Amino acid sequence: MYRKLSKNIYPYLFVSPYMILFFVFALFPVVYSFILSFTKWDGFSEMTFVGAQNYLRLFSDKSFYVSLVNTLLIIIVAIPLQLGTALLLAVILKQFFTGKLQTGLKLMNFLPYITTPVAIAVMFQLLFDWQVGAVNLFLLDYGIMDEAVNWLGETWGARFVIILLVYWKYYGYQMVIIFAGLTTISREIYEAASIDGASWSQAFLKITVPLLKPVLMFLIITDFIGGFQLFDEPQLLFNQPFGGPEQSVLTIVMHYYDTAFRRFEFGYGSSIAYGLFLIIFVFSLATLKLMNRGTDQ
Amino acid sequence: MTVKRFKRVFLYFAVLLFTVFSLLPFYMMMMMGTYQNEELFTGIKLFPGNYLLQNLQTVLSVNYFQFYKNSLYIAVIAGIGGAFTSALAGFAFAKYRFRYKKTLFLIVIGTLMIPHQLGLIAFVAEMKWFGMFNTHWPLMIPPMANAFGVFWMTQFIGSSVPDEIIESCRVDGCHEFRIFLQIILPIIKPAITTIFLLLFLGSWNNYLTPLVLLNKENLYTVPLAISMLGNLYRVDYAARILALAIATVPMIILFIACSKSLLRGITEGSIKG
Repeated sequence: MYRKLSKNIYPYLFVSPYMILFFVFALFPVVYSFILSFTKWDGFSEMTFVGAQNYLRLFSDKSFYVSLVNTLLIIIVAIPLQLGTALLLAVILKQFFTGKLQTGLKLMNFLPYITTPVAIAVMFQLLFDWQVGAVNLFLLDYGIMDEAVNWLGETWGARFVIILLVYWKYYGYQMVIIFAGLTTISREIYEAASIDGASWSQAFLKITVPLLKPVLMFLIITDFIGGFQLFDEPQLLFNQPFGGPEQSVLTIVMHYYDTAFRRFEFGYGSSIAYGLFLIIFVFSLATLKLMNRGTDQ
Repeated sequence: MTVKRFKRVFLYFAVLLFTVFSLLPFYMMMMMGTYQNEELFTGIKLFPGNYLLQNLQTVLSVNYFQFYKNSLYIAVIAGIGGAFTSALAGFAFAKYRFRYKKTLFLIVIGTLMIPHQLGLIAFVAEMKWFGMFNTHWPLMIPPMANAFGVFWMTQFIGSSVPDEIIESCRVDGCHEFRIFLQIILPIIKPAITTIFLLLFLGSWNNYLTPLVLLNKENLYTVPLAISMLGNLYRVDYAARILALAIATVPMIILFIACSKSLLRGITEGSIKG
């Protein structure tokens, strides 16, 4: 009797450190933020309940739309480029390289992904600096351009730099994931295909890509999720003026940060966070649906 | 044959080109940190200069290693604590039957999809009530409640620890907690390493949370310090770049050394998920 009882108490004992911390430090803030999104509060004075007003404001908030469009632009340009590069590199690396060289190349391309995002932002800031930036010095030295380009100070220059940064940071990571996916495809399928006279590109399109679909889908969805949360790098690169020239690189989370932690609109900030959550949710679901429909037909 | 060879060389070259592209910013950073500030304006620096020590002096004139120390101890505690709580919870989820197990596990899985910013405002308010604003606690505790860690540990323990070992230990009169410490932990060492590394990395790179919770300079973590390099070293670009190199390069080396465990965590999560 005692033994049975004592045995039953252990699982609760074992999950409790995690669960207690989880409820207090993770779940509670999420629930409480939801409540906050229906209030007006600056964190100090009296909180007032305002109903759905914050959400209505979200619909007419010009900065929110601007940030949504900017974020989408970055994601939509960067994702296909990253995935395409990653896919090709992974296939080449798998087929033509072996052993230590293969591992080493994988790692070197992976480095940007694990490097502190803030550090990457500063690196890019210095490389694209108007006066000391290596990019401008290179372009001038080799006579490609006559005048230094103010990369970070112009709308499309700023967008170009942030897209390049995102692309640079993620293609190696994606290559590593796709590479792992490739190792699950058996050799025999390729051998059978080559006996049937399939060319390299046929094998790539008819075998590799379809069999990698789950991995590619995972990457696309996590890219969307991560892309919508883009903050560290643009925040650092485009702090002055906030959001870059003409707010051209203001992302959703930057707008959220600005609202909640610079203007101290905790209520409205929370509704932006929930708006973002909803967008991410809908996009993930739509991507899943779209990709799955592709196979049915 | 020659066409094939040509193709091969071309593909080698393509991979090499991308690898150089990946590494170039790091290389430029390390080179630029060895020049005098004024020299940086004169042209591209592809080879090391001779001003490294003077720049180093400028960097260390601010208590730069304080930031390093802060980041390091926060990341270590977050990593160890998180690996421990998730291993313990994963053990319970994988090897015990208890009431509400399914519900609790579903809650854990459900939060995997939630973006980090969603509860941040309320989290900051909560930290103020707890008197944890401007302390390192809010950076160390949340990784101990990491849903991915629990999910991963549950999978790992479920598939790699046979029930028979646990049973036979029980027959020998082992205490349940001793089963965890002496049987489970040694078997799941690789999983512990992986989760530790992922949490360490997440903590080390975290910028938004310390940004909204810390405003005393002596409490700053490395990412915050990096973001303030402009304030710390004013117009001295070279010192800023060197500080940046000091902040990133050791971590890069550490992660290369641990790349096997780290890559396992990152790739397996994606292929199963």
